[in-house]
Amino acid sequence: MRVNYGPEGIHVEPIDLWLDPQVSKPAAWLSHAHSDHARFYSANALATPVTLQIYRLRWPENPEFPQTLYPMEYRQPVDFHGARLTAYPAGHILGAAQLLIEHGGERLLYTGDLKLNAPLLGDATEVVETDHLIIESTFGLPIYHFLSREEARMRISDFARECLADGAVPVFTGYPLGRGQEIVHCLAEAGIPVAVHGAIAKYIPAYERHGYQFGDWEDYKANVVRGKAIVTIPGLKRNLEARGVDMRAAYVSGWAAVDNARLRANAEMLIPYSDHAGFDELLALVTRSQARRVDVVHGYAEAFAKILRDRGIHAQAPRQAALRVSEEEAA
Amino acid sequence: MDRLAATLEAVASTSSRLKKIDHLAGYFRSLDDRDLARALMFLTGSKDTLSIGYSTLRDAAELASGWDRDLIRLCHREVGDSGETISLLLRGRTLNLSTSLEDAELLYRKLGSAKRGADKAKLLGEAWMRMTPLAIKYFVKSITGNFRVGLQAKLVEEALAASTGVNLADLRAALNRSGDILAVAQAARAGSLAQVEAQLFHPLEFMLAKPHDEAQGLPDAAEYFVEDKYDGIRSQAHWDAGKVRIFTRGMEDSTQSFPDLAEAFLRMPGRAVLDGEVLAWRDGRALNFTVLQQRLARKKLSAEILAEVPLAFIAYDVLYANGRLLLDEAIETRRSILESLLASVAPPLMLSPSARLSSSEEIDARFAAARARGNEGLLLKRAGSVYEAGKRSAQWLKVKRAYATLDVVVTAAEQGTGRRATMLSDYTFAVRDGERYLNVGKAYSGLTDEEIRALTRHFRSIATGRFGRVTVVQPEVVLEVAFDGIQKSPRHKSGFALRFPRILHWRKDKRPEEADTLERVQEIYASTLAQ
Repeated sequence: MRVNYGPEGIHVEPIDLWLDPQVSKPAAWLSHAHSDHARFYSANALATPVTLQIYRLRWPENPEFPQTLYPMEYRQPVDFHGARLTAYPAGHILGAAQLLIEHGGERLLYTGDLKLNAPLLGDATEVVETDHLIIESTFGLPIYHFLSREEARMRISDFARECLADGAVPVFTGYPLGRGQEIVHCLAEAGIPVAVHGAIAKYIPAYERHGYQFGDWEDYKANVVRGKAIVTIPGLKRNLEARGVDMRAAYVSGWAAVDNARLRANAEMLIPYSDHAGFDELLALVTRSQARRVDVVHGYAEAFAKILRDRGIHAQAPRQAALRVSEEEAA
Repeated sequence: MDRLAATLEAVASTSSRLKKIDHLAGYFRSLDDRDLARALMFLTGSKDTLSIGYSTLRDAAELASGWDRDLIRLCHREVGDSGETISLLLRGRTLNLSTSLEDAELLYRKLGSAKRGADKAKLLGEAWMRMTPLAIKYFVKSITGNFRVGLQAKLVEEALAASTGVNLADLRAALNRSGDILAVAQAARAGSLAQVEAQLFHPLEFMLAKPHDEAQGLPDAAEYFVEDKYDGIRSQAHWDAGKVRIFTRGMEDSTQSFPDLAEAFLRMPGRAVLDGEVLAWRDGRALNFTVLQQRLARKKLSAEILAEVPLAFIAYDVLYANGRLLLDEAIETRRSILESLLASVAPPLMLSPSARLSSSEEIDARFAAARARGNEGLLLKRAGSVYEAGKRSAQWLKVKRAYATLDVVVTAAEQGTGRRATMLSDYTFAVRDGERYLNVGKAYSGLTDEEIRALTRHFRSIATGRFGRVTVVQPEVVLEVAFDGIQKSPRHKSGFALRFPRILHWRKDKRPEEADTLERVQEIYASTLAQ
């Protein structure tokens, strides 16, 4: 299947479908609801029902740009321009999906952002066999190793408990959709009182509709912080610091796999847990997909493609002018 | 080694100094005397350096991990620290056997006796394949001297005091006397710190002066002695019948660089430690610092260069004489001992003239006279003061007056190290010469982390090329820099280099066309020669 890569996104030419386009297109697949993937008003938007719900929160209906949304349940194929499309869980955030495109006897799998190991919240990735694989490589260097969700859960709640025992306020910063809810859920399950910033709280109902319970979290108020763990967005930590609150920060992120993140994130505790695949997970995904051709599209694409070639896999990093900044990087 | 590594990881994961000390002290307490000595060797660095560089580490990492060198380099760039990079690359690829401190010491000794880089790489690679990643991380940090030395050393001292219940000041004083942290640690455990004796031939810490704030004036001027402040290399000379060592700041043994001075000290009777300055000296005055630097840059000191750039050691304090440590003696006592020690010396050994100041009005005239003698400024030392080793003390005041500042343009920015590993924190800067920008120096201090972060983002957006750690940028950002002098330099195209440049301000209000010119630099240089 002919696939074109450009600054506007990835175009699957034979069926005229754009994968996570950066601008409005006639037809688009939205792999998940982060705004660097699901954005603007493509006339026809295909995505999982959860992704579409959250997308609507961020991009409300706009009469100037009429739009039809096509919800696609996991593992339920639909016909599209003569191809068969099937969504499979990607483990990245709630609703994230990989897209399998079967057309003219060939299979193409687009992973979007994904994680192989089980996520704290959301459905676990399903490994899908394909001929042609388009995979992300945000953490495609062999220095990126992440904690399992059980380890992450323990580190998050231990850190919060230790700070509270010392009379300090534990602060977790994360980008608003995905990491934030995962941390709140962890803390709530551990019975630790949590105050949540509005930008993160906004998406909790979407998770609740999915059956996750968040206990008695409360809205973050700058003047009531004692005795609680705070889950907030990065800028806010500086506010707390300025108010002289004795706070200690933890940074939960894939980038926390490297010590220099301590300075970058200005956090004393690094918890290397990501909603992306670590290096070993990426390698396992490629191998288990049995793909004969691999396109690597994000992050350390060149280096990861070379690593795959050294293993005898036909891999390349197509040139794609960088339009997007991932939310996590921005955080 | 595994427990040492786990302790250091815990120390890194808390910002509380008390907790850091707690972790380390608890660890020290759990060790027997021999393991404590080994742990201290890894924590504070041994005297015999291993000279293991990046290429040896990379070769060893290639061997142990199987990754190629391009990938290793890329990973190293993201991580910024060799020990951590290698540890991450080997995660899940080693046998994860435990490494005792004794094993680690043995490996250290083997590395020390291996002659060739290739042998060292093989030893390292094979050892890593057995160790845990965490032990690898801290073993490599230790052998490359990559612990942040100053901070680490102070922390270790505090933890040692806490783990043995001795007074920190007593422990530090004993350490300064003997220079031997192992002996001090044993004495702290045995409760015999007071008996730790002064040792010659290890550097005592220097006492440093605070800058004198001239705006504040000096109401009690008559309480000070005044000397010239020399523009040379702060040094400490130790001698005892037949043996001489000269240490420079940073506690380095620089005896090899000063054979002419060492010879002169060899002829001195008795034993003593002097504090003073090494200067290039001819016809009764100090030569420009550039000249001294040129001599220091030589690997081999020929008879010609020894004759061409003669040195002098100008002494201004005595820290030890004939069996007595003099740090706690008053300056007047030390001065009279110094004068009697040096009563009959001739160049290259000299005594720095000292006088009692009578009023602050004298300072201007004395400053001008010091500059006229080719010296940098004045030092004021308070009457009755003791020698506060290792301290920047208000008992000593330095009077320096900066030359005019220059507005310069940044042409390249280099990735920092350690805490600033992910930022572009070292800037090469230039002055204008017509349409061109010619470099005159490089500076890495003076800005806040916040400003460096902002500049890093800006430099990345105006980058025109990248050579390893150096990012070349469009000449656009103007900085105001202060400096202590200008010297001729073949390193820069301008032919000049600023001495001790310090960034004062990021002049966002100035455009590069408004920066200072090469002509201005030449003027300032000429004016320093005239003095």
